Formats: sequence, structure tokens, C-alpha cells
Amino acid sequence: MKKIKIIQYINNSNVSRFRTIIQIAFFVLFVYGGYFFINIGQNLPTFACPYNPGSSGTCYLISAQHNLHITWEQLVSFRGLGFITGLGSFVLFFIIFNKAWCGYACPLGTIQDWITRLRKLTLTRFSHYDEVSFKRLSKVKYVFLVLLILIPLGMSNSFFGLPEISDDMGAPFCQICPGRTILPLFSGDTSQLFIDFTTKTTMVMSSLGILFMALFFVGSFFKKRFFCFFCPMSALQYLFSKIGVLRLVKDGSKCTRCGNCSRVCDVGITAIADDITSKNIVKDDCMMCFKCVEACPEKGALDVKVFNFKIFSSTEEGFFKRYGQGDSLTSKKKKDD
Amino acid sequence: MINATNQDRYNRLKKTSTIHYNMEVNQVLSEIMDDFPDKISGMEYFYNKFKPLEIGESLYPKDKKLIASMCIHVPIEIIHALDATAVRICSGAYSADTAGSDFLPAKTCPMVKSTLGALYLDMLPGNAIPDLVINPTTCDQKKKMGEMGDEIDKEFYVLEVPPSKDSEEARQYWQRTIKKLVKKLEKCTGNRLTRGKLKKSIKTIAQAQSEYRRFMRLRKEAPVIFGKDALLIANAYFFDDITCWTQNLAILNDELEERIENNLMVIKSRTPRILLTGSPSIFPNMRTPILIEKLGGIVVYEEFCSSSRMLSDTVAVDEWFLYDMVPAIADRYLKPSTCPNFTPNDDRIRKILLAMDDYKVDGVVYQTFTGCQLYDMEARKIGKALEEAGYPVLNVELDYNPKDSGQLTTRLEAFLESIKDNKRNT
Ligand code: SF4
Ligand code: SF4
Ligand code: SF4
Repeated sequence: MKKIKIIQYINNSNVSRFRTIIQIAFFVLFVYGGYFFINIGQNLPTFACPYNPGSSGTCYLISAQHNLHITWEQLVSFRGLGFITGLGSFVLFFIIFNKAWCGYACPLGTIQDWITRLRKLTLTRFSHYDEVSFKRLSKVKYVFLVLLILIPLGMSNSFFGLPEISDDMGAPFCQICPGRTILPLFSGDTSQLFIDFTTKTTMVMSSLGILFMALFFVGSFFKKRFFCFFCPMSALQYLFSKIGVLRLVKDGSKCTRCGNCSRVCDVGITAIADDITSKNIVKDDCMMCFKCVEACPEKGALDVKVFNFKIFSSTEEGFFKRYGQGDSLTSKKKKDD
Repeated sequence: MINATNQDRYNRLKKTSTIHYNMEVNQVLSEIMDDFPDKISGMEYFYNKFKPLEIGESLYPKDKKLIASMCIHVPIEIIHALDATAVRICSGAYSADTAGSDFLPAKTCPMVKSTLGALYLDMLPGNAIPDLVINPTTCDQKKKMGEMGDEIDKEFYVLEVPPSKDSEEARQYWQRTIKKLVKKLEKCTGNRLTRGKLKKSIKTIAQAQSEYRRFMRLRKEAPVIFGKDALLIANAYFFDDITCWTQNLAILNDELEERIENNLMVIKSRTPRILLTGSPSIFPNMRTPILIEKLGGIVVYEEFCSSSRMLSDTVAVDEWFLYDMVPAIADRYLKPSTCPNFTPNDDRIRKILLAMDDYKVDGVVYQTFTGCQLYDMEARKIGKALEEAGYPVLNVELDYNPKDSGQLTTRLEAFLESIKDNKRNT
């Protein structure tokens, strides 16, 4: 009886509110944790940006770019091991929360959600896009991912006899990453906001960095999680999402394809409603925020699981608690359904 | 416009039709109320909603516009938010069928004929006089009937429903249709749609749905109420005040919960459990469910646009502003709909199959009105899917004339017997 009560309580709860709080906690941890001598690790699957003096860890993307700034010979020698162990620890971190790193922990994701709140406060409506072409465009994240692997390798090696890429490329993605420009601002550090005129390459890259920062702000004001569509971290994470411990599963037989889930999804995933055959329903843009589960009125159509253990499920009662404001579902004598 | 020479004929027709209607209503009501042993006091409220019609004043608030709708695809959240009364006028009255026949080909579906007749003769529930009739294009006969507004002196508004619901194009088209409807209704009512009012009306209807779903959960749990009563409850939603309806359903639900606790079932455990689907049963056309239950079955689930399909699907809004609420409402009336005017309509098969399992159904009765092509055409596919899943299906065809029940009775009887035999053997 007690157990049923707890399950009922959780399924009726407002996960989005809980998420807002967790996001703040993670934001403080990743952006200011360094000041409290917290160091979580080198290979975090989220934007804990070391350019930010307060950061309590290091984003895996920068580690990966450094680890790959090696020659072919080194790659197959013990230095290549650095890459393997780096990737290994990234995967270990990642699979615990799966893509919920994006929904709950990533500081850049959190900032975008705050910008969305700001938009709502200004009563501005979100923009509509041609979703099909936008989705196609968002495949750019895989291009970013491939480039951030190939360019560092190209700095130490020559591809097909071409000259090596200039070392000015440094960690190339970091140079254009809005995390590098934005996150230090929260520690009061504006030193990343400049254009580096040293060489042509640095000039182009640092200008792109400023441009992407501007796009980040403008884009996410008009479209929820705009940057996430192009985020190479998300692309890399998705490669390992299938082995995640935290899972989002669907039972298509219980789904009416009402579309509630996809219409509340911040990243506009349509498969969550339309796909009635897949069990694992995490798509590459999904950030495991579980708003879809909150919006689904069909019992057990969507479940959040840790391994095979349900921790949050869609229920009628929960739906109406959240969307109908009504508690008429629970009469005087409570029925556990 | 009805001219003076015809006025006399009109008056006479209205008078006789009303007398027939009242006889029909009394007959069906007494069957529903008196021919069954169960007495659920919470049902009184709903029975009282179906009193015979008295010619006279409209029972609806005079200061509000009355918007009639002809199908579940009309978003009543919007009508309520604009301070208008929403009444669904799809009619089940045989007595109005004849009047409608004057305007329509003989082979037209009786529901369409009856609805047109009832509109023409002003024989709508509570003497409703609609200021506007919203007519969704969900079947060819209704579509064409909507062109007869001039003849019967009523204003029709065509609500363009896309023929398919799966594509993004259809969704966009429908969202625009609904936006256009908002404009039309704002003009008709003279009120403006506001954020606060729409939010409130979404919540009001969500509460009605939540109560209805609770009702369905109780039915799933145990056979505490007959299908004929369940249908009446849903039918009352057509024209009742939604808050009153919800409150009274809550009272009934509490009573049913108590009955479950005290093990007061309306049937014995061996009774065949039937799922009823197809052309919608609308009061007073309750022949099929009443017959099934008189012959010793129980209807445990109705997959009808006059019941579960109207009341189950919900609105989910992400940003509670008009720019997101209106499309959210549009989505709710399109995407989960299992109306056979959509192609493909596999969702209907899936819904029925899930209900078979959930409600432990023994067999399906598929009802088609003579002349209703869409339900007729889907009968085959659905029958096949059900048979593959191992369930017996009975297809019945009927019109609104209560006189020819003989064959229907024999067939239902045989069907129920065979299910009983099966149950006994397992
Ligand atoms: S997609 Fe990228 S920016 Fe967005 S939350 Fe995930 S890691 Fe952060
Ligand atoms: S909200 Fe639930 S029932 Fe509706 S489409 Fe999504 S998963 Fe299916
Ligand atoms: S699919 Fe669900 S969990 Fe994933 S981003 Fe969309 S709403 Fe969140």
C-alpha cells in the first residue's frame, strides 16, 4: 500500500518544476563549483567549460580535441591510450544519466531554458520553421563532430599528402563554441569576448566564436533549445544512448497517437508520438526532460526506467493533475489504479 | 424561408413529429429505466435530461449565442470560451427522420436525415434554436446536407476537416481551419477570445474528461453499470451544462465505487461482455445496446463518436498563450480521432484491440446505419483484425425505424448464445 502511494505521488508530480531546480543546482555546480575546489573530472559529457575560471570540471569535447592532437604513430602507441581512457570515462559518466545530461545538467541547455522563460515574460511567441528542413539542417551537428575529430588529427598529420592544418586551429570547436564565450561571463570574466587578430586563422575562428554566441542568444530566444540542434556533444552522446542506464521507453499498443507528447516537446520530436513500434524512443535531439511523459494521458504508454525499473510513468491521474488542475480523479475513497 | 402557404403544412408536420418524438422518447426511456432490475440512483439526473419535448421556449440562457455542432471535431473549448452555449445536435430520433427525408435522397443515412429534420422542425434538445450550425466535412452526406441551410432557414458553417490526419500538411491545414473558425465565432458571438477564458474552458473540459475516464476505469474494474446507461451519460454531454454534468458524473462514480466495494454488480459473471462500435447510437436510437442487454449481454465499451471518442482525448498545452492553446486544441480534435473519414485509420483498429484486452471483451457488435458508407467500408478491415486476434464479430445493419427489430433480435440472440457456449466450455 505504502509503495503504491509513493508511486502514485511520483507519477502525479510535476517533473518540470523538479527539473528547473535540478538545473539550477547543476548550473551552480558546473559554473561556480571550481571556487569551492570541486573537481568532478576531465571528461564530462556536458559543457563544463575550463575557460570559465569557476568551472568544476572539463567538458569532454576539449579533452577529446587535445587527445587527438597527435600523430598517427602516437595514436596507436601509449598516447592513443589517453584517447581511449578519455572516451571511456566520458561514456561512463554519460550512461548514468543518458541524455538527461542535456535536460538536467548542461549549463548551456539551462541558459537556453532561461531565455525561453524570458521570451514568455515578454509575451513573444515562438517562431515556426519548416520542420522538415530544420531537422535536415540540424544534422550539421554530426559534421561538427566529425570535424572536431579530424581537424586536431590534421594538425599533427597530413591527410592524403596535403599540408598539415595550422596549429592556430587549437581546439577548433572550442574556438567557435558559445560555451567558451558565454560561461566565463557568469564568473565575471569577459576576456573571451575578443577577436584575435594574430593570424588569419585566429581572426576567422574568433570572429566565428562571437557570431555563434550572438546566434545562440537570438536563436534560442525564438526557438526553444536552438543551439542544441547543432550541438556536437549531443551528436556524440547519441552514439552511446542505447546503452544508457536511464531510459525512455514507449509501449505503442497503449498510445493513441494523440500527439500531446510531441507538441510539448521543446525540441519538437515527432517520433515520440508517431512511432508506435520502437521501445526505446530516445532520438538524437532528445534531452530526456520527460515533459512528454507528463503530457501523456495514457497509462503506461511512456515510461522512464532505470535499467528495467520504472521510476516515472504516464498516467491518467497524473495528466489531469498537471493539465486539468482537477483532482476529481481521486474521489474520497482513493482508488489506486 | 418557409413561405406562408407552406406554414400550415410545416406546423402540422411539427406537431405530429413532436407527438411521435415524445412517444418514442417515453417508450425508450421506460425500456431503459424500468425493464432492468438495477437501480442506480446517480442515474436519475441523467434520465431526467431526456424528458419528452415540450414545444415552447428554449431552455438555454437567452443572453448567450447558441452554437450547434454536428460532430466531435468541433472544438467546444472555443465555443465556451467565447461565452456561447454549445449543443451537439446529431439526432437519433426516428420521428425527425421523415421530415429530413423531404430534402435528401432516400438512401441517405438516417442520422443525417434525422438531424436535418430535427433542425428544420426545431426539435432539438431543450428547444435549442441555433444561431450557427457548425458542420464538419466528415462525410459526404453531411457535407451536402450543409448546403440546405437556406431551405430550412439555418446558417451553416463548413468546418473543413482534412481527409487524412497523419501528414504535417493535414495538421497545418486543420490548424488554419480552426483559426478561421475562431474568427467566425468571434464575429457571431461578438466576443473576443481571451487567454484567461480559453485556459479556463480547457480546464473545465479536462475535468469532464477526467471524470469520464474515471467512470470508464470503474467499468473496466467491474460490471457495475449497463452500457445503455453509459451511453445516456455520454449523450447528455451533447447538450448539458458541462460543470453540472461533471459534478453529477462524480456523484454517480462515487456510488459505483461503493457498489464495487459491496460487490453489487448488474450482471452475473458469465454474461457475455460486448464492445459496441460503428455508426453512433444516439438517444433515442438505443435499440442495439438495449437489445444486447435485454438478451443477456452487457456492453462494456462503446467505440462511438457519441461516447468514448468524444470524451477521451485531451488537450496538452505547452505555453498557455493563445498562440499555443488554439493549435493545441486543433491537434486534440485531429490527431487522436478515430473517425472513419480519415484514411488511413489504423488507429481505430488499435484502439479497439486495446479495449478488447483492457475491458476483457468477449465479442464485438459492429453496427452500421443503412446508407452510412464510411462505417460500412471499415467494417471489413476491423472485422478481419478482430477475427485474427480471435474475437467473434457480428455485423448488424439498421435504420431508425424501430419496427424492424425482429431480425436484429434473432441475430443478436444467436451471437450472444454462441459466446455463452464458448465461455461455458472454457
Ligand atoms: S545538446 Fe549540447 S548544448 Fe544542448 S543541453 Fe545537450 S550538451 Fe548542452
Ligand atoms: S501523449 Fe501518449 S498517447 Fe499521446 S501520442 Fe504521446 S505517447 Fe501516444
Ligand atoms: S522526447 Fe520527451 S524527453 Fe525527449 S526532449 Fe522531447 S519531451 Fe523531452
